[in-house]
Amino acid sequence: MSSIADEVRSGPKPASGFLASPAALSLIGGLAAAAAWCGVAAITALWPDKPESDWDYTGAFAALCAAVGLALVLAAIAGVRFTRMRRVRQAVPWLLALALFVAAWEVITAKLGWLPLPFFPPPQAILEVIIDDWTRLGEGTIASLRLLATGYLIGAAIGFVAGVAIGWSRHASYWIHPVLRFVGPLPATAWLPLAFFVFPTSFSASIFLIALATGFPVTVLTWSGVAGVNSAYYDIARTLGASQRFLVLKVAVPAAMPHVFVGLFMGLGTSFAVLVVAEMLGVKAGLGWYLQWAQGWAAYANMYAALLTMALLCSGLITLLFRLRDRLLSWQKGLVRW
Amino acid sequence: MVVAGASAEVTRSTRDNPVRGATLTLREVSHHFDLDGQPLPVLDRISLRISRGEFVALLGPSGCGKSTLLRLVAGLNAPSAGSLLVDGEVIDGPDPSRVVVFQDPTLYPWRTVWNNVALGPEARGLLGTHRERIEDALRLVGLTGFANAYPHQLSGGMSQRAALARALVNDPKLLILDEPLGQLDSLTRITMQSELVSLWQRVGFTALLVTHDVEESLFLSSRVVVLSERPAQIRAEVVNTRPYPRHRGDPHLAELRHEVFARLGLDATW
Ligand SMILES: Nc1ncnc2c1ncn2[C@@H]1O[C@H](COP(=O)(O)OP(=O)(O)O)[C@@H](O)[C@H]1O
Ligand SMILES: [Mg+2]
Repeated sequence: MSSIADEVRSGPKPASGFLASPAALSLIGGLAAAAAWCGVAAITALWPDKPESDWDYTGAFAALCAAVGLALVLAAIAGVRFTRMRRVRQAVPWLLALALFVAAWEVITAKLGWLPLPFFPPPQAILEVIIDDWTRLGEGTIASLRLLATGYLIGAAIGFVAGVAIGWSRHASYWIHPVLRFVGPLPATAWLPLAFFVFPTSFSASIFLIALATGFPVTVLTWSGVAGVNSAYYDIARTLGASQRFLVLKVAVPAAMPHVFVGLFMGLGTSFAVLVVAEMLGVKAGLGWYLQWAQGWAAYANMYAALLTMALLCSGLITLLFRLRDRLLSWQKGLVRW
Repeated sequence: MVVAGASAEVTRSTRDNPVRGATLTLREVSHHFDLDGQPLPVLDRISLRISRGEFVALLGPSGCGKSTLLRLVAGLNAPSAGSLLVDGEVIDGPDPSRVVVFQDPTLYPWRTVWNNVALGPEARGLLGTHRERIEDALRLVGLTGFANAYPHQLSGGMSQRAALARALVNDPKLLILDEPLGQLDSLTRITMQSELVSLWQRVGFTALLVTHDVEESLFLSSRVVVLSERPAQIRAEVVNTRPYPRHRGDPHLAELRHEVFARLGLDATW
């Protein structure tokens, strides 16, 4: 999109000159964002913190904001020469808004002390947690990721196979469908007390719960995808000598793939929820547990840091799944609104 | 020459190259569907013999049961009564020697043109040895440059040609065509008709074409089988001995067209 627009705009433009060219616009935007972040740095560094709450990392936070500002200056200047860097320009409104938000947060908490502590720590307190406690945050992230990935992959695989089986075979449908109808809508967390009691470890119990939460939407969507395949696709393949196996693997499955991905996205969303609950209530590791622990000690800065990490983790995984879909379903690009 | 009646003895087509096609025999084939518990008769005692390498057209009003008949010949459905034989053997299921080109090209949208054409060989585990043949089929229908395109990037005519290539790559003995040109604009249609004839002459398969276009049936086939309204019965057969390639302006074709319209009960409008 933007590249086309850029190309159009970089065509001949007699009157407006350099100031209206994309290079100039991206330069001006980038410099404005850079100035805003340098402004945040200046407020943080020059305006003294409220005396009774003297934060250790005020200087470090100011340096971080200044570094962001400097990086934006460099990106803006690079954008004059390299068109790739001009993408920064699209982020300029967001960069400005974020700078404004951080500045307000900094002023209201650290400088004026309007919000009660310890519930609303200033940004430098969160930076402090990230710098001082990054090993535990990192370990928590890895533990969460391990649990989530294991449960999700198992659930997605079983759900996919079950969905294809129900969609394809009358027998499988007869036996699996009622179970799915009865058990599926139950939130996976309802199984939590039972799971922790039945499974040997809380880790395996959590894997079961996450797999369950993922498996249900993947099964249902895969099934509806397979059931909705145009029957003419099967006719074609059958007249060309296709076996049952070929019909399933090379016709039903690829045709159902767009639905399967909807199920995978829904499953990923519910698996996050189950992960956090399972970690808070049973597994003594992971970001959910860290969150619980931080709340117990009234370490609210740690909690915000854990929330931030969790948000990055979840959105990172969703992005990863989007990338995978874009790769596998690129043939859809001309057919549906992407 | 005009021969009417279902029992007409049919003369061989006037081609001189070796014939590789199959013979097809329909004996008293009837078929009905269940519609809300009521039987819906669609085919009524159809009997037909098609010789090796013949090009036969089935002509009939829309909804009379032509596609149903083709599905029986393809082996996709079993007839309610009667029997169908290919080379003397009863049809009991689909077989790659009998390939259908449907009204809709129905290419798989997730496969490139090349992979769509490769469907038959791939389904039978012959992909390794058939690469050359797939390229040949693409060249034959003029889609070599679009081997890596996806179906949504093709025009209607190109999609239909890709579907034709997908059928031809299997070297069918019987090619079953269900109004394959029905959705094309008249220019593309005329070109593709000529291409079909030259293909058939070169390859030598037996062809069974369904159409509701009288001109098309006369231009392509050596025999036009005229069907009645549903439930379809054979009303007449019109034999066309004109040598191939034919010319659209041929006055003999115009005469035959008159004859076919009469058989359809439409001579009043002529
Ligand atoms: N699977 C089906 N179930 C019930 N009725 C059908 C089915 N397929 C076709 N029919 C009916 O059979 C008749 C003939 O259909 P068809 O063979 O498709 O006609 P056409 O000659 O236009 O190809 C139509 O009335 C149609 O409604
Ligand atoms: Mg039809």
